[in-house]
Amino acid sequence: MNSAQPQEAVRLVEVTKIYRMPRGSVKALDRVNLSISAGDFISIMGPSGSGKSTLLNIIGCLDVPTSGEVFIAGKNVSKLSESGRTRIRREKIGFVFQQFNLIPTLTALENIAFPMLLRGERRHEEKSRALLRAVGLSEELGEHKPAELSGGEQQRVAIARALANDPEIILADEPTGNLDTKTSREIMGLLKALNERGKTIVVVTHDPLVASLTRKTLRMLDGRILSDGGATTDGGETDSGATERKTQTF
Amino acid sequence: MRAVFLRFALRNLARHKFRSTLAVVGIVIGVLAISSLGILGNSIKLSFSEAFSAVGNELVVHPKSESTISEKVLREVERASGAGSEVIPVRQRTELVDFGAEKKPVVVYGLRSEDIPLLLELEEGRLLKRGSSNCLLGSEIAEEHDLNVGERLRVGTQELRIAGILKERGLGFDINPDYAVVVEAKAFVRLFNASLSAAGKEGYNFLIVRVNRLEDVERVKSAIESRLNKREKRVSVLDLKRLMESFNEAFAKISTFLLGIGAVSLLVAGVSILNVMMMSVVERTKEIGIMRAIGTSRAGVLRMFLYESLLLGFAGSAIGGVLSFGGGFLILSFWMQQTSYLLASSSILCIFFGIAFGIATSVLSGLYPAWRASTLNPIEALRHE
Repeated sequence: MNSAQPQEAVRLVEVTKIYRMPRGSVKALDRVNLSISAGDFISIMGPSGSGKSTLLNIIGCLDVPTSGEVFIAGKNVSKLSESGRTRIRREKIGFVFQQFNLIPTLTALENIAFPMLLRGERRHEEKSRALLRAVGLSEELGEHKPAELSGGEQQRVAIARALANDPEIILADEPTGNLDTKTSREIMGLLKALNERGKTIVVVTHDPLVASLTRKTLRMLDGRILSDGGATTDGGETDSGATERKTQTF
Repeated sequence: MRAVFLRFALRNLARHKFRSTLAVVGIVIGVLAISSLGILGNSIKLSFSEAFSAVGNELVVHPKSESTISEKVLREVERASGAGSEVIPVRQRTELVDFGAEKKPVVVYGLRSEDIPLLLELEEGRLLKRGSSNCLLGSEIAEEHDLNVGERLRVGTQELRIAGILKERGLGFDINPDYAVVVEAKAFVRLFNASLSAAGKEGYNFLIVRVNRLEDVERVKSAIESRLNKREKRVSVLDLKRLMESFNEAFAKISTFLLGIGAVSLLVAGVSILNVMMMSVVERTKEIGIMRAIGTSRAGVLRMFLYESLLLGFAGSAIGGVLSFGGGFLILSFWMQQTSYLLASSSILCIFFGIAFGIATSVLSGLYPAWRASTLNPIEALRHE
């Protein structure tokens, strides 16, 4: 029973992705239906080859489905041109990667400001400083290049960069993969705080500990979503399959 | 905003200082080559135009079927040329002149006293009167042998008094008085024809036809040719203007050839920029993927890489342009013993042309790698390394 329909951040309808390889085609995603509400904090788990990275790429408009449709904040992005999708990535989505992926020739502050510069933001200096503080880093660290920062610090900078243009959705691909347990907890704590402030966060992970820190976990296998924690806003869109307990370890 | 990305480009170039420096050096050499060779070609042309005092409205008539031009032919030419032209008959021979320290063969011209002021200008002294047995000296001869008005000069078997010294006229297709002696026509016959053989080398050596109106030159030329060369080619008529034009054409070809050489070296520099930028693109594949993932457009990536080749081009062209002044100076002092042409506006133009060419080469060479960078698939690029 829903008193008010929460806004839909992401919606996938019958999304299929087929890669044509020299040895034959690979079906990375098989008629996936997915709905993520605004403010959700979900994780996607699955073995390698399950299609979770592909799913993230499609949600993040880095890739287009072979068939099916993708809606971001209600807008059909599967019809968009390449530059249209680039704009979505710039304004509505923030990426966080396992390998941090900061630009090595830029300082931390410059890395954070980069997406702002793409939009011609005039107040990029003060805004990037604010974001640096928001992710818990000191001002002086801002002048360092990524090579001079620890893994945890780099990931914080990456998160700050993801927040640069104040996107609705944060997509994180194995954000704690290169970090120790303690730092992983800190980063997940940061993401949780962001979620509490209204950001929709999708985390792809193979680490059940990380998954347990999110509010919902989806499991993927062979290009299909096995279970959905039951949080779709419109019924009849869930995939069939038994609901698995989130705390089950692999 | 652009300033930020230019700084970004500069930092990326600084990542591989040695490589970037080499690329810049390539452009410097290319710009130097084009500018210096352009200056050289241009200076050759300038020095020739300066040296040759070509009078555009002159025709020179040489005897063809006979060894000299007779009085009869002279009158026919006068009639063919018409009222708007002056026909100046010229006698010429080479005599040994005794300068005291040495004896040298020198050209002696015989001109009618009324024609002398039409062709020559006096530096000091007086012009020759009708029948005078004095002579006029060319500027070079007078300077080289330190001769003055009033002195006597032994020309062949004759001793002549120097009545005047002529102004420098430069090389000419009609006459070259700078290193010659000029004697009055009647005196010429009296003094020198006596020593001629009986083969009867009387008559004029050639005629200069001065056409008053430039437009009439073609008409007078064809008039003379049709009247005199009806049955056989008795005279050949030289159109000085046409001659200068064909010389200029030849010089233009030389200049173009020299510039071509310079262009080749700049092309090589362009290839090296292409190489450096391609290496950069490949090395930064993952970085390009990151930039695209966080929202950089294809055009944005293209621009970022283009900025790098632009910076290389600007640096190389600026340095090359400055060095071109020095290079041009060296080439001119070595090749032409004269460096004043360096300051001619057409020479300066060569330097700017070289700079512009250098920048254009860098931008064009950087275009392909920048395009490649912009069209990388972001997902594959992120997977790189």
